[in-house]
Amino acid sequence: MTVRIRFFARFRELLGAESMAGFKDGTNIADLVRSVTEKNREGYNAIFDESGNFREFVILMQNGKRVDVSDAGRTGISDGDEIAVFPPVAGG
Amino acid sequence: MIAIQKEDVNIAQLVTEARKPGTGAIVVFDGIVRDDDIREIELEAYTEVALPELEKIAKEATAKFSLLHVDIVHRIGRLAIGENILAIVVSAGHRQEAYAGSRFIIEEIKVKVPIWKKELTRDGGRWVPGEHSHGSGKTV
Repeated sequence: MTVRIRFFARFRELLGAESMAGFKDGTNIADLVRSVTEKNREGYNAIFDESGNFREFVILMQNGKRVDVSDAGRTGISDGDEIAVFPPVAGG
Repeated sequence: MIAIQKEDVNIAQLVTEARKPGTGAIVVFDGIVRDDDIREIELEAYTEVALPELEKIAKEATAKFSLLHVDIVHRIGRLAIGENILAIVVSAGHRQEAYAGSRFIIEEIKVKVPIWKKELTRDGGRWVPGEHSHGSGKTV
């Protein structure tokens, strides 16, 4: 099964605009983002802190809906999901 | 008109179209690229989420402040100093509602709509820090 992961703003510059990732049953959003970013040290460090937790300002969306980073480790993903990862918004 | 677009926006035309029956006040907010020792700015949006979010904000403002008409046009792409970034045009029966509605919309956009700005300078560029109010917990 596959999901689409999209990065925006500074995260996009570091990790690319999007990628498709395969996953096994029981994978959660936190594991998925870790596995996609771990090979890119700068990108990983922009999103995760020294303890491997999401940095407090990181925003996650699953199919356009916010998922609090504190819930990402227990939020499952489904085939065809779109996961977005981005820093605080700065429009206007 | 609620839109995210690369093209410039004709604010005069929006003001004309905002004159709905019962209008007593129209407030225009025009966000402009400021010369902060930059060359230009680049705006990026998660459009599939940002557009419905703008529509939701417009609907909420209309209900909350009895607005008669709302336009929100946010531009993306590369913009030079002095160009329009964001136009908000609201009409209402009275100035109080029009001012309050316009203010509500811009403040909501600042914290809720996934759009980002990068200032391009001679030395490279810097992302404009966003509002942290919707950051979240620290552990996973």
